[in-house]
Amino acid sequence: MHVVEIIVSPLLALIIGIFFLGLSRKIMARIHWRYGPPITQPVIDVIRLFSQKAFSHGMMFNLGIILSLAGSFVLILFLPMGNICPLSNSGGMLVILYVMLLAPLGIALSGGEAANPNVSIGISRKLIIALGYEVPLLLVLLTIMTRYHTISIVEIVRIQQNTTWALLDLPLLLSGIAYILILPAILGVRPFEIVQAPQEISSGPMAEYGGPFLALATIQHALSLFIGIALFVNLFLGGAGNPFTFFLKMLVVFILVLFINAALPRLRVEQAVKYLWRWPTLISLAGMIIILIIRR
Amino acid sequence: MDRNQLTKWLKTPVKMGHKYSLHAVYFCTGCGIIEVPPVITARWDAERFGVIPVATPRQANLFLITGYVSVKTLKAIIRTYEQMPEPKFTVGFGSCPVNGGMYWDSYNTIKHLDKYIPVDGWIAGCMPRPEAIFVAVVHLWTLIDKDMADGYKRYRKDYKAYRANQEQLFGTLEWPPLFPIGESK
Amino acid sequence: MNDSLKEQLTSVFTDVKVFIPEEDRIVITVEKEAVLSVLSFLKNHGYSHLGLISCVDWIEEKKLELVYILSAYMQEDESYHDKERTTIILKTKISREKSEFLSVTPIFVNAEPYEREIHELYGIHFDGHNRLTPLFLERKYETPPFRKDFDTRKYVQDVFDNIPFVEKKAENK
Repeated sequence: MHVVEIIVSPLLALIIGIFFLGLSRKIMARIHWRYGPPITQPVIDVIRLFSQKAFSHGMMFNLGIILSLAGSFVLILFLPMGNICPLSNSGGMLVILYVMLLAPLGIALSGGEAANPNVSIGISRKLIIALGYEVPLLLVLLTIMTRYHTISIVEIVRIQQNTTWALLDLPLLLSGIAYILILPAILGVRPFEIVQAPQEISSGPMAEYGGPFLALATIQHALSLFIGIALFVNLFLGGAGNPFTFFLKMLVVFILVLFINAALPRLRVEQAVKYLWRWPTLISLAGMIIILIIRR
Repeated sequence: MDRNQLTKWLKTPVKMGHKYSLHAVYFCTGCGIIEVPPVITARWDAERFGVIPVATPRQANLFLITGYVSVKTLKAIIRTYEQMPEPKFTVGFGSCPVNGGMYWDSYNTIKHLDKYIPVDGWIAGCMPRPEAIFVAVVHLWTLIDKDMADGYKRYRKDYKAYRANQEQLFGTLEWPPLFPIGESK
Repeated sequence: MNDSLKEQLTSVFTDVKVFIPEEDRIVITVEKEAVLSVLSFLKNHGYSHLGLISCVDWIEEKKLELVYILSAYMQEDESYHDKERTTIILKTKISREKSEFLSVTPIFVNAEPYEREIHELYGIHFDGHNRLTPLFLERKYETPPFRKDFDTRKYVQDVFDNIPFVEKKAENK
């Protein structure tokens, strides 16, 4: 049973992630009053990309993207989707915090081998944005761990199933608001779509990827989308008892994020970091102080 | 539309993949580039055909050469074309790549693009309307179905002749040959 | 305003013909030795914007004519309104076989790309210009392409039509 869960869970995340990518293009098209591609368009793209014969810059170029993809796949095993959670007793939130950084590091490794200045600019922006949202994210996670007295994310879901959602729990409201404010930065949608800016730096770290590398990068993007939304749903919206309700909650959150994506332009990287270190940090700091006072 | 036919997808998924996801390099060649932004925005939507512009030639497989090609632009076009991963398709858009068009006796434009890089299809007009891009894309689909869109294979096979033409126009080129040229007899 | 400028020019310089074809336009024709001094004189009088340097090929007279177009920037106070509306066109003629001239970059720094273009397309060499490298063209031409004795059709036939099509070349193998 355990082995089946380990195999099924990343596959399910992959399918849902690719479905979200296609859904995002379709919904953005309908917002723009045009028809848009079919929802299975990312699948067609990935099939075509795997059949192309691309140019590789060296060994580290090949290995970097595989490292990033492996990090994302492993992270899926620690996140509960409903009642499927293969590695539930193995460290929970602390492991998630560490493994979440493998994705940008893998892409940075492969981008160092590619001799393109656009790639270097894109990678520096990616790491700066990661620095930007890690500070309020850390404060929010510490607040939740303090409130529920546990680091296991499965425990947190179970407590929320028994009592109420963490977002509606009054002491945790400020942390919830702070997390909602930094959610677009974690997902990489506008106004924080700084990493992949096709008009400015020719799509950043993916500028030298062609063929199979771009297919792997698309899959990694789908998985990172899934991870960002799944973490929010598990921590603040209560998780779910079965996978179907879980995916329904993820869908609602994703569509709301897409609406923000359609309406706003892109910030510069220093404006983004200034914003992320100001209001969300202050709000999450206030939430943490409230939780510490209540615990005492 | 045969995009929904499951049997075709199961038999030849690679060919269907090449047909329905043509990503075009956003290379703005000449005056014809004014016809491309209306095509990719909301009025004549090219994304429902699977055609979107991408930023780098490494991610693309369609090269749309719009408008006249001066001698300096041809250098950039050859370098961009050689960076694209195979299989790749080229479409000459407008009358100027076909036979020189309006600039047929100019001292600085090339008259036939087919001598320097292989071209799969032409669209005549000065400028063609945006619907002509859609006609070209649908025609390119039928060509891909019949395996007749083989510009990249011809480039590989006749690379000696293409490189000789390019060197006759420019003198020596700064970049090395893409495929190894055999010893001349 | 235009008449006073005309009087000043004819009193300071000899051998200068000033012609006013219509309102707000002055055409000054000078010999080629006096161009730099007339340009500094006009610049000191407020016409400090060099708009364009152009060239005309008079093939029957065997001369190339250089045309400088000057105008005045807008000032803050009211008294310069007439000057802002006038355009000054300065013309000189140089010989066509030995086409050399002095560069005006010491007076107007922004003359550099115009003179580069004229050097490339008409073949005039400018002394004192620090960067006379090709601007638009990629090939070498024996006759500069904008001169009237440049045969474009023969050039196209010699250079572009001599490059063979690739399929025909492959068939002949």
